[in-house]
Amino acid sequence: MFCLISLRFQQPNNYDTNSKIKAVFLYNFTRYFEWSDNKKVGNFIIYVVGKNENLITELKTLASKKKVGNQDIEIKNSFNFDPSISAQIIYLLSDVSKSIPEVTSKSRGKGTLIVAETHNACKTGSSINFVVIENKLRFEYNKSNAVKAGLKTNDDFKALAINIE
Amino acid sequence: MINLRNIFKSLALSLVMLCFVTGNAQIDSLNKAQQLLQTKNIEQAKSLIESVILHSDTKGDFIAWTTRAYIYFDIYKRTDKLKLNSPLRDTIISSIKTSISLNPDETFKSNNTKLLTNLSAGYFNMAKVLLMDSLNYKRSVIAYNKYKETSLLIDSKTIFKAKDIEFYLAAGSLYSDIFNKDNNNTEAQETAKITLLKVLDFQPDNISANVNLGIMYYNQAVNLGKSLDFGADFSQIDLVQDNIIKLAKQSEYFVARVYNLDNKNLKAVEALHSIYKMLNEKTKEDEFKVKCKELNIKLD
Repeated sequence: MFCLISLRFQQPNNYDTNSKIKAVFLYNFTRYFEWSDNKKVGNFIIYVVGKNENLITELKTLASKKKVGNQDIEIKNSFNFDPSISAQIIYLLSDVSKSIPEVTSKSRGKGTLIVAETHNACKTGSSINFVVIENKLRFEYNKSNAVKAGLKTNDDFKALAINIE
Repeated sequence: MINLRNIFKSLALSLVMLCFVTGNAQIDSLNKAQQLLQTKNIEQAKSLIESVILHSDTKGDFIAWTTRAYIYFDIYKRTDKLKLNSPLRDTIISSIKTSISLNPDETFKSNNTKLLTNLSAGYFNMAKVLLMDSLNYKRSVIAYNKYKETSLLIDSKTIFKAKDIEFYLAAGSLYSDIFNKDNNNTEAQETAKITLLKVLDFQPDNISANVNLGIMYYNQAVNLGKSLDFGADFSQIDLVQDNIIKLAKQSEYFVARVYNLDNKNLKAVEALHSIYKMLNEKTKEDEFKVKCKELNIKLD
């Protein structure tokens, strides 16, 4: 009598929690760095290089809800790195990891925070790199890469990260 | 002296006669109550049978008690059939219990069973209606337990395992469905968990219970992620991640059970892909992505 209902299976929700967590991390990063004056005008641009639709959706939601100081957040995305895009944060996804050295050299001294998600990215030029430790998303930080990029932060941030020199 | 003896004799004889007459009178009353029942004079039948079951000559007669049950059943079926708590139904059951205790003959045994079968079916239907139409699990489980109690009066060796699985699985599926549609409904979530875990107590390898429980834990983890505020600080992110991981691992435990029993179970394969993605286990995520493709499962 009950069997019709008991055969019904639930559907797993296809929401991507890791994209949400990355978006929340990225917004946190904006609070810990001292942005140069030329980066404090216009929109605060987060430029994502590579393909991750869920992340772009989350970042666009973030942009619609939050600001960095008085600046609106703007999300830009391309599958390949476009050096003409001036951004406060460049996030290089794993499918474009090979371009980390190129992007970091072109962004040197411009006050742009390079974030990646590839093994050893902090050793190949990235300032911040997402890593997974025991299923948990954490981040590595290379202070000297950040300094080379023209960024300043405080020791609090260093204490929160896995430091790579 | 002779006169006195005669008086005693006459008195004793009168007493015997009186007892015989009153005993017969009670049997007549019982017959009368049965006739009134047949002619649907139920109120009269009811008041008459109440005197019959109290009288010492007939209170030990199973016919009186079964007749009482039938009289009350006649009233019950018109007024109380859909009521979870019915004093009329309670009277019917207690009357049948008394009748059973008085070792009825085959005819009355069969009459008692007919009534009990009707009542237990009524409880089962009520459990179904309360669960599926009224979404009232608490009352539904009361009706279901009453169904079991009544069924045991018919056959004390009845095994309910299959029915228990059917009932709790239906409740679990229904409430996990409600929870997945409204993630703030924690009461539905709790009911779903309790009932699906009950199914697994009876049948640890039950596919539906394992899958639904696993997906419910997974969706709970999704909700945690969704509700994370963009302005959350690092410590809050850390806490949310810890809880997401715990839930995802609980989810994996149930879904993997199904996968280990049947590695082509579509729901299990699809869910495990999502779970490993959530757990950042890239190798396993890719492995299940391939399996999804092989089984023609579309991933969003």
